[in-house]
Amino acid sequence: MYKYILQSAGNINWMAIFALLTFLFIFITAVVLAFTKRKEELRHYASLPLEDGIKE
Amino acid sequence: MGQTETFYYDNKIVRNFGVATALWGAVGLTVGLIVALQLIWPQLNFSLPYTTFGRIRPLHTNAAIFAFVGNGIFMGVYYSLQRLLKARMFSDTLSAIHFWGWQLIIVAAAVTLPLGITSSHEYAELEWPIDIAIALVWVVFGINMFGTILKRRENHLYVAIWFYIATWVTVTMLHIFNNLEIPVHFMKSIPVFAGVQDALVQWWYGHNAVAFFLTTPYLGLMYYFMPKAANRPVYSYKLSIIHFWALIFIYIWAGPHHLLYTSLPGWAQALGTTFSLMLIAPSWGGMLNGLLTLRGAWDKVRQDPVLKFMVVAVTAYGMSTLEGPIMSIKSVNAISHYTDWTIAHVHIGTLGWNGMLTFGILYWLWPRLYNTGLYSQKLANTHFWLGTLGILFYAIPIYWAGWTQSMMWKLFGPDGILVYTNFLETVTQILPMYRLRALGGTIYVVGVFIMIYNLIKTAKAGSLVENVEASSGPREVHTSTKGEYWHKWIEKRPVQMLVAAAVLVAIGGLIEIFPVMLIDNNVPKISSVKPYTPLELEGRDIYIREGCVGCHSQMIRPFRSETERYGEYSKSGEFVYDRPFLWGSKRTGPDLHRVGDKYPNSWHYNHMIDPTTMSPGSIMPPYPWLKDDEINTKYTAAKIKVLQSLNTPYPNGYADRAVEDLKAQALGIAEDLKKNGVEKEGLENKEIVALIAYLQRLGTDIKPKQSVGLQ
Repeated sequence: MYKYILQSAGNINWMAIFALLTFLFIFITAVVLAFTKRKEELRHYASLPLEDGIKE
Repeated sequence: MGQTETFYYDNKIVRNFGVATALWGAVGLTVGLIVALQLIWPQLNFSLPYTTFGRIRPLHTNAAIFAFVGNGIFMGVYYSLQRLLKARMFSDTLSAIHFWGWQLIIVAAAVTLPLGITSSHEYAELEWPIDIAIALVWVVFGINMFGTILKRRENHLYVAIWFYIATWVTVTMLHIFNNLEIPVHFMKSIPVFAGVQDALVQWWYGHNAVAFFLTTPYLGLMYYFMPKAANRPVYSYKLSIIHFWALIFIYIWAGPHHLLYTSLPGWAQALGTTFSLMLIAPSWGGMLNGLLTLRGAWDKVRQDPVLKFMVVAVTAYGMSTLEGPIMSIKSVNAISHYTDWTIAHVHIGTLGWNGMLTFGILYWLWPRLYNTGLYSQKLANTHFWLGTLGILFYAIPIYWAGWTQSMMWKLFGPDGILVYTNFLETVTQILPMYRLRALGGTIYVVGVFIMIYNLIKTAKAGSLVENVEASSGPREVHTSTKGEYWHKWIEKRPVQMLVAAAVLVAIGGLIEIFPVMLIDNNVPKISSVKPYTPLELEGRDIYIREGCVGCHSQMIRPFRSETERYGEYSKSGEFVYDRPFLWGSKRTGPDLHRVGDKYPNSWHYNHMIDPTTMSPGSIMPPYPWLKDDEINTKYTAAKIKVLQSLNTPYPNGYADRAVEDLKAQALGIAEDLKKNGVEKEGLENKEIVALIAYLQRLGTDIKPKQSVGLQ
């Protein structure tokens, strides 16, 4: 299926392969780094929009 | 933590951008409704140059993108940035310059586009002085944003801010590259790139204007305002990190999907398709992250109009980002391109994603800015339903119209001949769908006016809290610890984040564009293709001024259904002197690349003055002023000189005799018109003659015997 789609896209030459490999590098790096974060830090980051320091 | 500091958030600038968002939204959408109505009732063009479809359609797109969504971005960024960084904006003066500068640019666009002052690059139509103004104001915004980031009290940059940074850096790059042009005079420039190169740079820009103006900043707003409105953190911060890096890296490569089956080199088309398909993953990751933020809060969605708007917005984002990649598969694109399918697709994005998220944010913000409750939840709910139904009534009929028309264009009878040989048949068939689309647009616009009423009443019930007191400890000095991974490092370093984002998006741009610029083989030359004559050049500029490119393509794809209808498919070498390229992206009327020598001059004359005389039932507007207005030859020589400086091979000193040549060619056409019954004094000086000269030249260079070009 994916081969068909890629083939129908035209000539897949080194440009496309280079692009794909660079993307995979970025993607895998981002995944690895995202999943090696500490939970408490993530909780803090995620809650930043809810802590705007406004005096009630 | 050190001593707590007290400071104030600037709400006034947020309110100002909010007012501009609502105001320009009403204007931009109303103009959109007018152009939709013009397609049903051409009389609404009023036979005036300034109100003709070709000129005000770009007014609609520019108003919707840069005025409505642009102000929406700034409203959301100025609100969220201060709070996420626990700091007031870097400079109130820069905020004010940014606000008024942007509004002036919008006014300049609203004046120049109806005047026909346009570069014809889609979504980058504004001429060079306004381009420079945009660059300056954008830099002011950048300084203000980065200044705030640098003086922040919160160490960590929340993911929304990464999206803002990527937006800023990429839009800067796109704006500069797509507007490389040489001025001919104050309101006219000639792009440095020609033909295929110009097309590639333009759609690299055009696609990324969608990506980095309509999408990434709004994703930043989604990551801030959805948690705020639902009062719970984003579903997965990990997912948001992956979403960010994958999205900004992939998006930049996908531009060539706008040029499938054109004269663009095959490998560039292949890149466009591949990366467009890959885009589904991060886009849907982001959509799911947004929707899942509401987990356990769906009861609130039933009650709260703000969340309702946001849910529809994020769903529309998901639908649009699935549909876009599907449309980038070549076999699907063969059906969708040049049809109303594309129009439906972009409106799911702008009306659904941008529109509904903007409305949700406005309803959430306004009571907070004015320290009161929303004037009417009921009216907000009414707006929500009008907005949602408006989108459906808008999109479904023109999806249908797009599919219908495409099928009709491609239908062959058993005898192997096109069934619908007259293009007009395929237009009149879809007029009922156009009517329904206009109804959908009307419903949507009514909703916007109800919102404006609700926001005005809310503002009147409260008073603007210009400065909001807040407190926080000073920023902790970050010390790296052993084994700390680099992402944590970069999240605390905005400048490095800027550089990383810039490098990432530059990779895509450079690899995609540079080979086409540098390698000759990508654009094979055709020896019979010659530069335009001065008269054709002036005619071409009239074609650009009137926005003909909005309805007519000049790019015949290599399909039998197209070569049977229009003639030989278009070759990249035919466009080497086309500055700017005029391939177009929509066929409301037929393709014109081989229209040269197809009809007599008198046919064009009568057709331009009143299209229905030649094509009964045509929805093309009349252009009666072309027979009265004189050709402006004041800048003809200057145009030739600029083109020569860009290696267009006119003979040395040709600029000095260009007007002479122009007059001689015009006289020939005027005499031919007279012979064929067109009676008018001084016809050889009129614009219509220049336009006819250009139209008669189109696509004739590869038929050398009939070529009338400069020899």
